[in-house]
Amino acid sequence: MTDSLVSIARALVFIVVALVLCAVIFSIAGFSAELMFSAILDGAFLRNGALNHALRWGLPLFITAVGVAISFRAGYFNIGAQGQFYVGAICAAFVAEWTSGAPAFVVIPLCFLAGMIGGALWALWPGLLRLRSGADEVITTLMGNFLAGLLLVYVTSGPLKDQSGSGQQASSRPLDAAYRISNSLGVSPTIIAIAVIVGLSMWLLVNRTSFGMMSGLAGRNPTMVTWQGAKLWKVGLASFIISGALAGLAGTIELMGPNGRLASGFLPAHGFTAILIALVANLSILGSAVAALFFGGLASAALYLPVIAGLPSSAIDIINAAIALFITARSQLIDRIMRFRSRANG
Amino acid sequence: MDDIIIAILRSGTPLVYVTLAGVIAQRAGIWHLGLEGLMIAGACATILGIVFTQSIVLALLIAVGVCMVVSVLFWFVVEKLKANQIIAGLGLTGLGLGGTTLAIESIFGSQAAVSAPFGLPRIGPLFGSFGNLSILVLLMPFFVLAFWVLLRRTRFGLRLAAAGEHPFAARSVGIEPSRIRLAALVIGGALCALGGAELAAGSLQFFSQNMTAGRGFMAFAAVIFGAGHPVGAALAAMFFAIVGALGIRAQLVFGDRVPHDLLLGLPYIATVIGIWMSARLRGGAKAISGFGELRDN
Amino acid sequence: MSETTPPVLDCHDVTVRFGDVVALSDVSISFASGAIHAVVGQNGAGKTTFARVIAGLIDPNEGSVRISGRDMPKGSVNDARRAGVELVHQSFALPPSFTVAEAMQFGGAGGKLYTRNQLERRWQAHLDALNINVKAGQRIRDLPVESQQSVEIARALVTDAKLLILDEPTAVLSPEGTEKLFERIRHLKSAGVTIILILHKIREVLAIADTVSVLRGGKLVEGPVACSGVDADKLSELIIGPSARPLDEDDRAALTGSASSLHTHVGVSGNDVGAPPILDMKSVSSAPDGDGPPLGDVSLAIRPGEIVGVAGVEGNGQRTLVRALSALTEVQSGTIALDGKQVTTMPLQGRRIAGLRVIPFERNVEGLSLTSSLWENWSARKLLQGSLLSWIRPSALRSECKSALDTWDVRYATVVQRAGSLSGGNAQKVILSREMDEDARLIIAAQPTRGLDIGATAFVWDALDKARRRNCGILLISSDLDEIMDICDRVVVMLSGRIAGTFEPPYDIARIGAAMTGVAHDR
Repeated sequence: MTDSLVSIARALVFIVVALVLCAVIFSIAGFSAELMFSAILDGAFLRNGALNHALRWGLPLFITAVGVAISFRAGYFNIGAQGQFYVGAICAAFVAEWTSGAPAFVVIPLCFLAGMIGGALWALWPGLLRLRSGADEVITTLMGNFLAGLLLVYVTSGPLKDQSGSGQQASSRPLDAAYRISNSLGVSPTIIAIAVIVGLSMWLLVNRTSFGMMSGLAGRNPTMVTWQGAKLWKVGLASFIISGALAGLAGTIELMGPNGRLASGFLPAHGFTAILIALVANLSILGSAVAALFFGGLASAALYLPVIAGLPSSAIDIINAAIALFITARSQLIDRIMRFRSRANG
Repeated sequence: MDDIIIAILRSGTPLVYVTLAGVIAQRAGIWHLGLEGLMIAGACATILGIVFTQSIVLALLIAVGVCMVVSVLFWFVVEKLKANQIIAGLGLTGLGLGGTTLAIESIFGSQAAVSAPFGLPRIGPLFGSFGNLSILVLLMPFFVLAFWVLLRRTRFGLRLAAAGEHPFAARSVGIEPSRIRLAALVIGGALCALGGAELAAGSLQFFSQNMTAGRGFMAFAAVIFGAGHPVGAALAAMFFAIVGALGIRAQLVFGDRVPHDLLLGLPYIATVIGIWMSARLRGGAKAISGFGELRDN
Repeated sequence: MSETTPPVLDCHDVTVRFGDVVALSDVSISFASGAIHAVVGQNGAGKTTFARVIAGLIDPNEGSVRISGRDMPKGSVNDARRAGVELVHQSFALPPSFTVAEAMQFGGAGGKLYTRNQLERRWQAHLDALNINVKAGQRIRDLPVESQQSVEIARALVTDAKLLILDEPTAVLSPEGTEKLFERIRHLKSAGVTIILILHKIREVLAIADTVSVLRGGKLVEGPVACSGVDADKLSELIIGPSARPLDEDDRAALTGSASSLHTHVGVSGNDVGAPPILDMKSVSSAPDGDGPPLGDVSLAIRPGEIVGVAGVEGNGQRTLVRALSALTEVQSGTIALDGKQVTTMPLQGRRIAGLRVIPFERNVEGLSLTSSLWENWSARKLLQGSLLSWIRPSALRSECKSALDTWDVRYATVVQRAGSLSGGNAQKVILSREMDEDARLIIAAQPTRGLDIGATAFVWDALDKARRRNCGILLISSDLDEIMDICDRVVVMLSGRIAGTFEPPYDIARIGAAMTGVAHDR
């Protein structure tokens, strides 16, 4: 119990430090830091419908973050969530296109299947390169992100191009209304149900199965686990596949839910934010749910800022980056305070 | 033929400078994923410096200064706060990308590209068509050589390698690994600034947001591909640049028959292949990732 | 020893604390110059901490250190080295990828730029002057352990050392290697260097040192006293101290390294000699795997109730042997049978189910996940016996772990605390409690008592003995000949991946030592 309290406290402290750094950066850039923070707070949490907006962004983020957490727990730095997210959406879009005309109860599950398989495959190739040849997955998954971005540009200006588009941003033809799983507000019983199912099943996998415990141990010390007879490649492969599939699932949800179409370069910060969520939550599933809500709120503020407050939307990216910079820090001061407290409590 | 070489030199030089920064960081035991952020900060600072001071020297000084200061921050977070190098590096990159976008948004009021009235000084007409290349291109091989000497033939280089490979051995002869890493990161910061300056002001004369497009990560891959050896890594970086230049060339040759975006993806694919090949050559050497307890010094 | 020269080293009330642990407590000691001083004590007594304080690596919380009469500023390696203090570390402070010449260079002062040839020539001269048979161009990681130690000593002698401290230098050496080291030390003494030797075997102390001091529990309990008049039994008592568990004479002698060179060992009676062996290795050769020499035609059999010891200098194939038995390295020819079952091609998981258990070499890297909880570490073995998708109940596992740890007398607060928070002895007990269950048949114990204090060491020996009485077979790998001679029923010596000799009790250290270095020995 104290362990999770310590990590929450540590996360909060470093989020505050990150926000202070951001305040400095904003001031140097000539903005009033106070104004920015209050606008963000307002946009993210206080205005009407803030919860809905936070959910709209937070639910898909949660799903991707769970995948990231599972991969990181197993010791694999799969930072290709963005790419897997895109590829999942692309695959779902193609399937929607090919099965167009069929009844919804056929199309929708097929699209989800396609999205998850697409995302899983996009995580599989860096995974295999790592497991079979030792090629570091950090760079390969990162390159995968760039390649998936290019693929998205190609697909939306080529095969799936919406001919009647206005030309501002390349995008695909919008999905038939029957195939949508939510309106553009993005919160629907379907999406919530999917998120809950993912959360529950993954929590059970991580906390109540042999796989979950072994992958946690393997992530911390693969050598020890090898000496116990574990086949690391099995755990690794499963982790890559699961994390890719979940990111692909999130991409499919965004496509068939609030977006309704594939737009070139949509949601470019989704993957990075999901990674951040997993880290802030210290790789726990439950924590990811809470953190996803928080970052979902921040993401909704990103659209609100330029519209209402005339502030650049890149401010949110800076806040996220600053949090990433500090979130894995382990200050000796905090550790010592926490140790002292736990001893005092017996 | 000449213009292909010029194109390769133009795109390779920024990459080589940043790769050298990655090499010195890796020798010191730091996996520097913040190179992308430093590079774009250097690019932005150079262009803004030219615009506001009208002096290339001042602009370069500002760029180097900014990158050095940011490198100190990175050092502090990774060494003193013991943050995970990979995540902190990604955060640094994010700060660089977002911060530069914020800078141009706040100064110019929009996210459009910023042009500078002039760029880096050119080599000069003596060299024919190569004269259009900037002096940083000319200096590049000297930097590579200087780095090779510094890292492999001086006591500083040995001490740096000891700090990275066996910190206890370093401490037992009185070296403070933390401090020598600071030196490595600051030197690396300066190099990233030069790489960014070359990118934005070498042949182009503008800065646009996210113009680095992953080059910092390619440089990181070149470090791995070159096994941390300055010359090897520089060659790997040039290899990626050649692939990129060939891709652009191929667009002109193949026209519409091959998708434009696929060719743009060639450098990224080359990077993946490079990482894969270097891993196989080294017999599947231990990869760096993971939060595992074993990866700490 | 002149009365007017100041002692080369003078410590007053040196105290070192690491968090809650007091490593050294009010140590006041002074060493005369020009002599060989031994500092002895069991593991955990504070010997290494003491050495590091003098060398300037550790900043004492209290107390002062004087070298040759001058006060030393705290915690500064550079100042200590300038005053002529050099430390030869127990596990060498040599970056593995460096060449020998580079390893000499990086610690010294002097020229900034050099070419490779210049460098190697300069340092080859230094090595040759010290009579060290190593080429300056070789890489550290390619050198055998004894050569690495020579390089480490050469590194310490680069500057004009006045006080040379060697931290447990004999731990990795064969008896012959130890003798060569002692010769070199005597030579250094005649050149005017003062030597402090950290040792933990009384036999060695009596062979080389002029004075001896004893540390126990971070305190100085004796010394420095001249070795010439010292009583080995009294020294032994001082080292062990008031012991919680009764130790038999042979064990005491083995623990303090005061056993005579001939050793009688009594096996467990009632051993069923006719029973099929628990381990039957026939002519096993392995592929080279980058970590030590491959096995060459190794044949080894262990009967139920037998402890077989593997002696040999580190790096002669012991690790390969353990990995081959654990299916972690490829076996090219030969067969391995476990309890009658052929397991040559079986992966580790299957072998463990068949009763193989391993107490690995590196406790903290191969045996435990330090940042994971005790119950996770403990349950790892059981979890891997089933499929990956099987259901687990953490609360049940936690209470099982608790009762197991209590049975093994582990000192811990809760089963959810991190394994890294335990002391070495307790951490080892966790590993034992996991590996030595009732279904264990063949137990491989690799350096099981390394770094453990006397109480924990005796505990481990006791546990191995109990397992033996349950008719397990035990393969003990150890670089401590006293330990091997005390508890093993049979000893094999490994050299370059092959078995170089098999010995039955009574054991003769000289003959075993000769086999370790490949010298034919006739007596």
